[in-house]
Amino acid sequence: MSDRSTARRGGLLAGALLLVGALTACGVDAVPTGEGTPLTGGTITYGHDQEPPCLYGGWIQQAYLSRQFLDSLVSQDDDGEIVPWLADAWEVSDDQLTWTFTLREGVRFSDGTPLDARAVSRNFEFWLDEQGNGTVGAYLADYYETSRAVDPTTFELSLSRPYTPLLSALSQAYFGIQSPTALARGPEANCEQPVGSGPFVVEEWRRGDGVTFTRNPDYQWGPANARHQGPAHVERLVWKFLHDPVARYGSLTSGETDVIYDVPTPEWSRAQELFQVEQYITPGRPVSLALNTVKGPFTDLRVRQAFAHAGDREGSVRSAFNGVIPFEGNGSVSQSTPGYDPDAADDYPYDPERANALLDEAGWTEFNDDGYRVRDGEELRITLVYGAGYVFTPEGATMLQNLQAQVKEVGFHVTLIPATQAEILSGTYAGPDAYDAYPSYWTSPTAGILYITFRQDLPEKPNKSNSQFYNNPELEELIVRANSAATRAEADELYGRAQRLISDEAATLGLYTQTTSLAVARDLKDVWIEDSQGEPVFHDAYFVR
Amino acid sequence: MSAILRPPEAAPAPATPPASKAPPRPTGRRLGTIATTALSALGVLWAAATVTFLAQVLMPGDRATLLLNLSTGQTVERTPEELAPINERFGFDEPLPAQYLEYLRGLAGGDLGTSYQQLKPVTEVISDQLAPTLLLTCGALLVAWLLALGLILLTARRGRARSALGSGFEALAASLPHYWLGVILLVVFAVELRWFPVVGGSGPAALALPVLTLAVPLAGFLGQVTRDEFERTLDQPFVVSARARGVGDLAVRVRHVLRHSVLPALTLSGWALGALFSGAVLVERVFSRPGLGQVLLNAVNARDVPVVAGVVMVVALVYVVANLLVDLAYTLIDPRIGER
Repeated sequence: MSDRSTARRGGLLAGALLLVGALTACGVDAVPTGEGTPLTGGTITYGHDQEPPCLYGGWIQQAYLSRQFLDSLVSQDDDGEIVPWLADAWEVSDDQLTWTFTLREGVRFSDGTPLDARAVSRNFEFWLDEQGNGTVGAYLADYYETSRAVDPTTFELSLSRPYTPLLSALSQAYFGIQSPTALARGPEANCEQPVGSGPFVVEEWRRGDGVTFTRNPDYQWGPANARHQGPAHVERLVWKFLHDPVARYGSLTSGETDVIYDVPTPEWSRAQELFQVEQYITPGRPVSLALNTVKGPFTDLRVRQAFAHAGDREGSVRSAFNGVIPFEGNGSVSQSTPGYDPDAADDYPYDPERANALLDEAGWTEFNDDGYRVRDGEELRITLVYGAGYVFTPEGATMLQNLQAQVKEVGFHVTLIPATQAEILSGTYAGPDAYDAYPSYWTSPTAGILYITFRQDLPEKPNKSNSQFYNNPELEELIVRANSAATRAEADELYGRAQRLISDEAATLGLYTQTTSLAVARDLKDVWIEDSQGEPVFHDAYFVR
Repeated sequence: MSAILRPPEAAPAPATPPASKAPPRPTGRRLGTIATTALSALGVLWAAATVTFLAQVLMPGDRATLLLNLSTGQTVERTPEELAPINERFGFDEPLPAQYLEYLRGLAGGDLGTSYQQLKPVTEVISDQLAPTLLLTCGALLVAWLLALGLILLTARRGRARSALGSGFEALAASLPHYWLGVILLVVFAVELRWFPVVGGSGPAALALPVLTLAVPLAGFLGQVTRDEFERTLDQPFVVSARARGVGDLAVRVRHVLRHSVLPALTLSGWALGALFSGAVLVERVFSRPGLGQVLLNAVNARDVPVVAGVVMVVALVYVVANLLVDLAYTLIDPRIGER
């Protein structure tokens, strides 16, 4: 196991039973009941929390589902290496602009359409030319030139400039390849019953209840990092939407589900005794506070730095999550991301004295009767808008309340605004007038996510995902150079410099890692979490007696 | 929505037994009543439609942005070029009055529009999910009545302690919040005792706890209203005379007293059925049941205006129909009302 893999898998949870990737043997040893006799067939019932609007799309909640029935060109293994999947092999031209993928032969979508280079090309056109997937666009729109089928098994992707993290990006389920025949049915059918070449086929989606997948009996083309080749061991996968944490965990203890997502943190230690549990720290942007650098008190660097020192972020994360979810000090990239810079994580330890000094220096020297700082008659007021029950679990909200109380000690008046999903997604709280601080995350297997979250927002080239409104040409240049670096080492060095710059500028403050946790019944083996962004994989899973 | 679900003014138990104040109505007046009822029902539906439309449209934020962001999980502002096709497709670029008229025109023709989120007709979205919710709410109403009546027959005027126990239970039950009760029932009877499944879905066993969650508070409420009336009726001269004729205690209670004392609670039931729908939103969430409540919740989250409006229309319709049925039941239970 490489160092990175160790970091990614936690080690953060003493005693957690690991079941992932190359760790099968270790997982089995750790299960006290022993291995048991493998069975074929059966139905896995899985309890997930959120239900997305479509089974396919550019949102992580959709990626969890699409991973079950769509295959990608490549896969990322637990060591972060890219391994073959639908593409057997690939090469890149010397100028790094032309990528040629050799596709596996004999692959068919579940509707019978052959998976050839034209089908792949059609998907790229759908994503990028027809803007069928905003997340693919966020990664590739600025780099994509054209795609074409050279012959049935040779697919060629042309870029306008080199893009080092291309393969990592492609390994995500957002980039799963769909049947062009099915795509042509239009958005409604495609939303409800998308068609891929994956190990499972969408049989039925009962909204508000769940999705039933059936085994694809012809499946012979799992990714190279799968535990076995051939069709799934189980016949069916029933994906239930169990939003209520009590019901979700209760369904596992009562045996109605075999696997659940997002183990409630109060149940975590007990779940470790009763089930096989697994925690995955999502790479990409961690749950972090974007500070508004163009409007309000945070336009002053000293005030941003004071805010960073004023709260015991690590302590509040630990208490709110019972120590289950790790603190992440680096606000731009999380610890499991390739190219993560640990130096950017400890720039702002809890230091109220330093916070007070910085605020004094910034001119916020007076206090009003409520104990808040005042400058020129204006109170030091911070509006923090967060997605309640959607981006933030109740534990996350508790964490923010802890923080609110701590920063009050040095004179910050924080107003927490819990916003609904509709308000947030409709842009009610977008734009520099809407907030002083806004917490969010973005799952991604590459530090290239910085291009999405920190590229400048300019009139001629807007970037609305820059939620700190922090425009810095020097930073953008570092990120752009990293994205096009010739080697991984060079890219990591540049990404690291970008992270340190963001940290020096206190444009964002790290809170905690976005984390996937699974609890799996003892009689179900080989459920694993894939590496690019933490989707559960059921293709290899089997029951034992 | 709550405005239309509030109990009618007539709901509180009348000071005198209702039997004594229902004058016989001539046929012409009866027809007039029906026309008035139909008109007011239409009025309720129109108001529900309008309020829903305005509430959804006038909320801050942009619908087209929401739809784009919903499909990517992003929370960003969008460029006019990105928004234009969506605005055109759903008619968001039309002036509001035009959108409103178009919406009403559709409603009049039974067309609830197309879901922004699911891209299919709202009537289909609703009809797919109507049955589980109707089963839940009607089951809850039935069970609530059984609980309330059983408790009254067993405790009302049967000794100070028993009577106090009964009315105390009613007061407690009526004040239980659905969410809290649901979670408690779930933890105790499904997770710990495992008498019932944790995950809802189909089957009578899976229906038990959700129905109880809705029924217990309602039973307390119906019981409170009925108990007062029940105890008053026990003092009526006709009860004394029935007893004098040698009718047994239980028979007096069931055949004579109950018949008079359920009328206020019956009035409330029309309202209660509407209110149960809003309770269903939470209950379906807690017990992971499909149904209109979940549809409504998801649609509100996604600001899927046609679906929200459609669900509200269905609830309003149920409310209207339930109240008509209540009127009908009145005449069956107490033939002196609306006779001839």
